[in-house]
Amino acid sequence: MKELSLNILDIAENSVKAGASLTRLLLDEADTALTLTVADDGCGMDGETVRRVTDPFYTTRTTRSVGLGLPLLKLEAEMTGGSMTVESRDASNFPDDHGTTVTAVFRTDHIDCPPLGDVIATVTTLIQGHPDTDFLFRHTRQGKDAVELDTRELRQVLEDVPLDSYEVLQWIEGFLTEAYE
Amino acid sequence: MTVSELVARADLKAAALPDGEREITGVYIGDLLSWVMGRAASGDAWITIMSNRNVAAVATLADTACVILAEGVQPDEGVAALAEQKGINLLLSGASAYDTALRLRDLL
Repeated sequence: MKELSLNILDIAENSVKAGASLTRLLLDEADTALTLTVADDGCGMDGETVRRVTDPFYTTRTTRSVGLGLPLLKLEAEMTGGSMTVESRDASNFPDDHGTTVTAVFRTDHIDCPPLGDVIATVTTLIQGHPDTDFLFRHTRQGKDAVELDTRELRQVLEDVPLDSYEVLQWIEGFLTEAYE
Repeated sequence: MTVSELVARADLKAAALPDGEREITGVYIGDLLSWVMGRAASGDAWITIMSNRNVAAVATLADTACVILAEGVQPDEGVAALAEQKGINLLLSGASAYDTALRLRDLL
């Protein structure tokens, strides 16, 4: 992808498809490493499936459910000298604690490291597309205040107002824009 | 023109040629796989310098006629065998992407 934020969107969509009620989107910038973590409490995958999700041909079958997102994310991370890992606990073996965590590390001083892109648009797009599931977004940057948004907290304040209503989305966009300033 | 004819006439080497009778109907050049995936058309000869397994997956998804690795790039280990197995024509060109495309321009 030309921008990392598009990868976030892509991977987070997998989480929603896996039935996640909460998906955590974490960005951490430290020195020359940018770590992207997408952690959900969805149905998870068994060990065999986890081993295959980075195989592009596993995901290109006609029955594919996860797209080429993970193989490409892995490639992009490795092209910068970084790495990608997938950890998962499937619901049938871990009924009380299941989900998938994708962690990708990019080396930001590598010429092939893509720019982060429009993270605010990514977060608002996810919330707009999936107003009934929760997202926790946290972006920590060296020497700066963390940018954080938790839709569970928004829900408490908003009560019955849906998260995909125009005013709420506008507010989220404004809130994040201000937080990044 | 078929892929086999292209190999013979454009001074290309075939790393895998499981479907030499496939007709080439266009050309696409690109290295950012996620970008190529949505833009390369069915029947294209796709010129790239990327050489990993994901290239084979994108070629399958986009249904390209062949992949041409330019600049003398060699496929990563196991990729030629994978291409053979998945029915993907994988060709090698010592020329740049531009010069490879020019040869195609003359031949197609």
